[in-house]
Amino acid sequence: MEASITLKKVGKLIGDKTILAGLSFGVERGSLVAIVGMNDSGKSILLKLLSGYENPNYGQVFIHGLDMHKRRNETRKIIGYVPHENDLDPWLTLEQNIRFNANLFSVSEKKIKQRLNDYSTALNIKPYLNEFALKVSNGIQKKAMLIRGLIHNPGILILDEPTGYMDAESIRLTWDLLKKLKGEKSIIYVSNSLTEIEQAHDRILVFHEGRIIMDGHLDMLLKSTINYHQFQVEFEHLEDELYKKLKSIPTVVSPKKIDNIFHFYGRTRTVFFDVIKLASDKMMIDLNVKKLNLKDLLDSEFSGKSLE
Amino acid sequence: MIKSLIFRRFWLWKNRLVPSIFLFFLLPFFCFTMISLPLKNIIGLSLAGDSYDVWNFHGLIFLIGSISLFPIIYRDFFDLRIHKKVLINITLSPHSKLKLILNSLIISIMESVLVSIISCLVFISFIPLNFDYIKLIFMFICLVMYLFIIGNLYITISLIMDSLFLVTVVNTMLMIYIIFGIGFVIEFPFFPQGIEQFLKLIPISFPFQIFQQYKSNGLIDFSMLSIIIILIYLWSLLNSKLLKFRLQQ
Repeated sequence: MEASITLKKVGKLIGDKTILAGLSFGVERGSLVAIVGMNDSGKSILLKLLSGYENPNYGQVFIHGLDMHKRRNETRKIIGYVPHENDLDPWLTLEQNIRFNANLFSVSEKKIKQRLNDYSTALNIKPYLNEFALKVSNGIQKKAMLIRGLIHNPGILILDEPTGYMDAESIRLTWDLLKKLKGEKSIIYVSNSLTEIEQAHDRILVFHEGRIIMDGHLDMLLKSTINYHQFQVEFEHLEDELYKKLKSIPTVVSPKKIDNIFHFYGRTRTVFFDVIKLASDKMMIDLNVKKLNLKDLLDSEFSGKSLE
Repeated sequence: MIKSLIFRRFWLWKNRLVPSIFLFFLLPFFCFTMISLPLKNIIGLSLAGDSYDVWNFHGLIFLIGSISLFPIIYRDFFDLRIHKKVLINITLSPHSKLKLILNSLIISIMESVLVSIISCLVFISFIPLNFDYIKLIFMFICLVMYLFIIGNLYITISLIMDSLFLVTVVNTMLMIYIIFGIGFVIEFPFFPQGIEQFLKLIPISFPFQIFQQYKSNGLIDFSMLSIIIILIYLWSLLNSKLLKFRLQQ
């Protein structure tokens, strides 16, 4: 697959602090890439570098094979950027804001009309197009910003919290549109909604302290990193002696005693039966088995200790 | 790019049509009442012997141009930059910063000149002027050059400062300088000699000096004119670098 974006040893410093440290990775054309990480981990800065909003201190960014620093005007035509904060002109209507951007990119009137109609219908904001930006809710503004980012038909869409401030229905409409655009456009986004990321990605980049610590599809990451199930067995009384016995089962990982609950992880479901067998003479109140998800993956990474 | 900026200004005008038109018609009356009328009673005649309000007519037009230019530039380069609105989005379009600065200046100046023409028509209705159309056209040429310089100064101030307090203080001082220090309402010889020489050397006043010289003896100072044109280009270039630096692009 052809590369849409390529980063070569890209670094960003703010003062003495390293925000991004020698990042190198590529994004395939037409893919949907989610970036996740803790606050201040460098996710938004990375988006700013990719959009041309800020420059890296060192390294190179290539957009469709063009050096972003040397071929600035050409690469900017390929990128559509939607920042996290609402940045529409408050004294222009939503349509005027979108049209202003379209004019900056020299989009023909026919295409403006067509795209404005298509996207505003898809996102259900037609009734708001003639409202001033300052008079509509943040969620509506965010949808208008998305249309503004799409109006010049960019090949790459960079989104910082694409569904920020939106209600459930708007989130659904936004993702319906973005999933429809996937394949035709490369979409890179940052989101704090892990459910959203789990449902919409070809690849997840997990950021920590300016570095990518995980990169791949969620299933692959879970398989390679923590292919575990999470178990909970609640006893009527969980004595220390029983807890010690259960803890000593070799396949039990990260056991914890929380009141009368025995909490542990295991690679296969058979571990669960080992525990049950050992505690069969004790009164059990509740059982719970859960396949791990992105949140557990991040929790295990960011707590500073892996499950093992 | 210029088309998009023209449409944007047009939309902003259209969206606030009544207050904008009201203010732009009020502005010449306000300036005339607050500046020309009292100074006419104090000064009476210009140094050349003209009636003060007739002499002051051109200065008032320049002054109104300066006042009407300020909010447009302040909005684009300070207000919207500080509040992280629009400006950054404009800089992400495929246009250079120099083009952005020059086009923004051109659009703002077009609007200011329009306001100045309206003011001119308002003044003509009550100031007994002897009309010389060549001089009037030359005045507007000098006005455009002046607005390019003062516009660049407004941009520099708006880009350098991040604090509303500082911008307000500096712009208030600048307004006092524009009203009294360029020769629009008080002729340079009214100042002490040292200050007069100093004020004459500040390039912001060059376009008005060129116009005054042309008005009195019909001669155009081409050396001063060339300095202005070079200054405008270099200052716009400097502002484009400053914008790039401030936005870390």
